[in-house]
Amino acid sequence: MTGWVLLAYRIPREPSRPRIAVWRKFERLGVARLGDGLVALPADARTREQFDWIAEEIVEAEGSATVWLASPAVEEQEQQIATGMRQARAAEYQAVIDEAVAAGGGTDTERARVLRRLRAELHRIGRRDFFPPAQRDQARAAVENLATAGNPAPAESLAPADGEHA
Amino acid sequence: MKWATRAGVHIDRAACAWLIRRHIDPRPEFVFVGSPSAVPADATPFDMRGVDLGHHGGDCTFETILRRYELHDPVLWKIAEIVHEADIDDEKFHAPEAAGLDVVLRGLSMIGDDEQTLRVTTPIFDGLYEYHRRALLLDRPPA
Repeated sequence: MTGWVLLAYRIPREPSRPRIAVWRKFERLGVARLGDGLVALPADARTREQFDWIAEEIVEAEGSATVWLASPAVEEQEQQIATGMRQARAAEYQAVIDEAVAAGGGTDTERARVLRRLRAELHRIGRRDFFPPAQRDQARAAVENLATAGNPAPAESLAPADGEHA
Repeated sequence: MKWATRAGVHIDRAACAWLIRRHIDPRPEFVFVGSPSAVPADATPFDMRGVDLGHHGGDCTFETILRRYELHDPVLWKIAEIVHEADIDDEKFHAPEAAGLDVVLRGLSMIGDDEQTLRVTTPIFDGLYEYHRRALLLDRPPA
């Protein structure tokens, strides 16, 4: 772990539009909420920049915001936060798995439509997945399975028997 | 003229540098700084917190510069959609090129300094401009 980037902020309750816009950005980034007006992400070039711009947006909305680089005093604290973030992503991946499985019995057209949508959803979740849970690979497999389901898979029957090319 | 931006350029700053060179200042000198206080007095800062040429009202810096300098070329606004998505990734626009461009720029920042990134990305944005100029004229994907 190379450290965290923290955003400490206050934003007026009214008007609600900028406050909701900022809240949506936090959801999209998958921030850890450390307290009222304090959010955190593992620090890298992208997360630091995203927090900088959100801070700017908050200041433009007549609020106040400061961005900090931080490391936890006790390692257990960090693990707790990482576990919380991992669980939040696990729930999102699980929702993708459920949708993919449910779509498996559909027509080719339906499956293709769900496949496109879920691939995009996986991309979005992946962007905010800093501590990948086991569900990530399962979700990827379930979604890609939609691309092949319905077609007989020839791979096994055409594969040479063991040792043939030894 | 002298222009200053944050060191470690990524998509928005690379695109802005290209935009400045091609449409605002044919002989720009770019300075890369670590913090706003390091911006030289005679330089125009861009894509930094607290400056006019930055993110404003949901726009990325490329879009802000187009507005401030009243550049209405529709091809530039098409490129702005791609830069916006590669930079902010909020799905405001449909710009499938964005994901690939984001990866290319991140990779470039790993293997060279900011001067090299600008050297490499100048012809990339020239090509992107020409492609979308033809696409707009033909009203379909060119070639």
